[in-house]
Amino acid sequence: MDVSQYLEIFIDESGEHLQTLSDCIMELEKEPDNKDVINEIFRAAHSLKGMAGTMGFKRMQHLTHDMENVFQEVRSDKIAVDSQMIDLLFKCLDAIDGYLENVKATSDEGEEDNEVIIKELNNFIAKASGETPAETQPAKEEAAASQEQAASDKKYLQVELTDQERNELNSAKEAGMHVYGMTITVQKDCLLKAARAFLVFRAVGEFGQILVYRPSSQDIEDEKFEQDFSIYLATQESFGKVKSAAENVSEIEKVEGEELENFALHQEEKQEETKPAETESAAKPVAKPAEKKASAPAKKAAAGKPATNRTVRVDIEKLDTLMNQVSELIIAKNSIVSISSSEDGGFNNQGFHEQIEYLERITTSLHESVMKARMVPIESVVNKFPRMIRDLSRTLNKKMELVMTGEDTELDRTVVDQIGDPLQHLLRNSADHGLEDTALRLERGKPEVGNIFLNAYQEGNNVIIQVGDDGNGIDTEAVKNKALERGIITEEQAEVMTQKEIVNLLFMPSFSMAKKITDISGRGVGLDVVKSNIEQLGGDVEVKTKLGEGTTFTVRLPLTLAIIQALMVVVRDEKYAIALGSISNIESVPVSDIKYVENKEVIHLRGSVIPLIRLDQLLDIEPLEDEPENLIVVIVNRGDNQVGIVVDDLMGQQEIVIKSLGKYINGNKLISGATILGDGEVALILDVNTLM
Amino acid sequence: MEAEKTKIEKIDNAETEIKQYIVVQLGSEKYGIDISYVDNIVRMQKITRVPKAQVYFKGVINLRGEIIPVMSIRKKMGLEDDVFTDKSRIIILKIEEKGSIGVLVDEVCEVVNLSENEIENNNISSHHVKDTFINGIGKHGEQLISLFEINAIIEEKDNA
Repeated sequence: MDVSQYLEIFIDESGEHLQTLSDCIMELEKEPDNKDVINEIFRAAHSLKGMAGTMGFKRMQHLTHDMENVFQEVRSDKIAVDSQMIDLLFKCLDAIDGYLENVKATSDEGEEDNEVIIKELNNFIAKASGETPAETQPAKEEAAASQEQAASDKKYLQVELTDQERNELNSAKEAGMHVYGMTITVQKDCLLKAARAFLVFRAVGEFGQILVYRPSSQDIEDEKFEQDFSIYLATQESFGKVKSAAENVSEIEKVEGEELENFALHQEEKQEETKPAETESAAKPVAKPAEKKASAPAKKAAAGKPATNRTVRVDIEKLDTLMNQVSELIIAKNSIVSISSSEDGGFNNQGFHEQIEYLERITTSLHESVMKARMVPIESVVNKFPRMIRDLSRTLNKKMELVMTGEDTELDRTVVDQIGDPLQHLLRNSADHGLEDTALRLERGKPEVGNIFLNAYQEGNNVIIQVGDDGNGIDTEAVKNKALERGIITEEQAEVMTQKEIVNLLFMPSFSMAKKITDISGRGVGLDVVKSNIEQLGGDVEVKTKLGEGTTFTVRLPLTLAIIQALMVVVRDEKYAIALGSISNIESVPVSDIKYVENKEVIHLRGSVIPLIRLDQLLDIEPLEDEPENLIVVIVNRGDNQVGIVVDDLMGQQEIVIKSLGKYINGNKLISGATILGDGEVALILDVNTLM
Repeated sequence: MEAEKTKIEKIDNAETEIKQYIVVQLGSEKYGIDISYVDNIVRMQKITRVPKAQVYFKGVINLRGEIIPVMSIRKKMGLEDDVFTDKSRIIILKIEEKGSIGVLVDEVCEVVNLSENEIENNNISSHHVKDTFINGIGKHGEQLISLFEINAIIEEKDNA
């Protein structure tokens, strides 16, 4: 069996399991007695081990195995959770992550044995259980996992064979097959033991033939067994594979077994050959081809091409909808084909128009579905942050807590992939610069534990992610002085700068406010990178700060790329598109209703004063000679800000494909792109966010 | 043998030296554009104005679903504005790093082959702005063709 084709799945799933582990260990630190969490951890660690084993990543399997042992001890209340242990576990996770990175890059786990960590792990268990570390140190062979088990667990050795079974086994052996005896234990709380057993039989049955069942297969089917059952399997495959196949069935606690050599003997004699190493060395010449085959995948994987493709996991439901819509599309196409080839063939006939409308509906929903399929929750990015903050809290020796909301907010996969670094930077910033020292916090009457937050939510066609803290806030005077010192601004400029402008200085390249350079931040590669990263994604970032009370960075990202719903407006002979998501309403306003505030036109609409922007003036178009009595005003909003845009006419709503204007035309934030209309004409897209 | 070898070398050299240029008319002068940059030549079509863009950008066009910015070389060189006629064309240049761009010309005349010895490098000291866009003068029969330095044309110009 070639495992390289499963590499991507392995990487994906291992990543998920690691994340689960990390989350749960954080949880465990808070509630050391929560049994659910421990069980969850155990499951994740176990799956990870199984998967690493299947893929032939021995070192990774080894490390995970030892980590699992620690969890086992915790689960059985032999060890109490303490921070030292949590630290060690995180070290483990990092090491496993290291393996995973290697696998990603080279399809191989690398050479690092992480013996220090393994030793620490074993010491830990030893300390708790009083055993010597060596006892829990598993052998490095395939059958490693079985060594720690007492022989009494190996029920397959106590099986009394009937003559017929013995004959079958011997003939299988003669045919050059390996015969493995195994005892499978299902979890205590397993509800459908028979079903699990059936799944195990099916999984191992793929490798060969099950010759002996204990209890009998009928009894197993009727659930007439306690927690375990034993089988004898004749196969060409290595035991490791069979074992992990069986282990991969859910709710299976453990699988014990080994290759059996001689069936004429009774159990007492068999007991002696429980050392797994022997089974390896005792492999008969006939078994050699199979052995080779088993080790081949690992080698092949090592030679395999590095790097894996980026994938999106899509809910099967979403795919079903997509499939349905494509079927509808085909039906619509067929109808049109049949109309065009029909006798009266007229494109004016009603059926034709109906079909076009139908087609329109389908393409719209098809687009929506595809967009949805590309959307992933930002969870995958943000859930590594609690761990990061915990580590920062240690390194910086400040007490802090990260509160996150809206992790399920969905964004396009491309955006999610690239938003991690900027967010991480902002969080580090908050932890390092934002929050004060514990002493200072107490002095200021703030809670001892600093609060860092990350809130994500959807607003119209945007996703807003706020990152901030309740720390010191930005000292605008200090920033101003620093900028003066660096010669970025002149004295005169400094005089007239608004608070907001000063804060924006922080986004200038190589502007660092850190008084000393730390590991975490202060190297001057910072907020400017954050800003440019976010702008590349079509978003923007804003800062709100109050000295002594904290700082909030608001990152605004477009929900979708490429296709949006837009309102087409007309000014003289030019057409412009405004994203529908930012439009709140459209009003017809009599010219006489226009009022003036600070010499600027405003309208008073349902209790709020809205500034007016004349699109013709904004876009340098000649003004009309005689103004109409009523103005068409498109009210757009961004957050709490509203602006009314005066246009000549409305063309209606349309789905538009966003195209870039290219790299030549610049200095124009107002136009965010262009689109091609049905008649081939180009219409520009107005970014109304720049108006507010 | 020896003679033949040199002959072959000569031919090789001659082949590498020859460059093809598209000759275009801008006002009363003829200009050459290195054909290796030219992707396409299209007729005049509706150009959508882009507000607030650099003045020498006429706007954008739709070229088979792609948005292509269109630049007026006349404006960039400080000549009077384009007058569109039946003969006006947009030459689409393909530039590796920045993507495609269209330039407006009054007329496309012909394609000429110029070998290196027919090109005089433009060392004439001149303070005319437009000369910075020219990297040589091609002599084709009786005509003199100013050869455009494409990179200078597409480059950002602040004082325009």
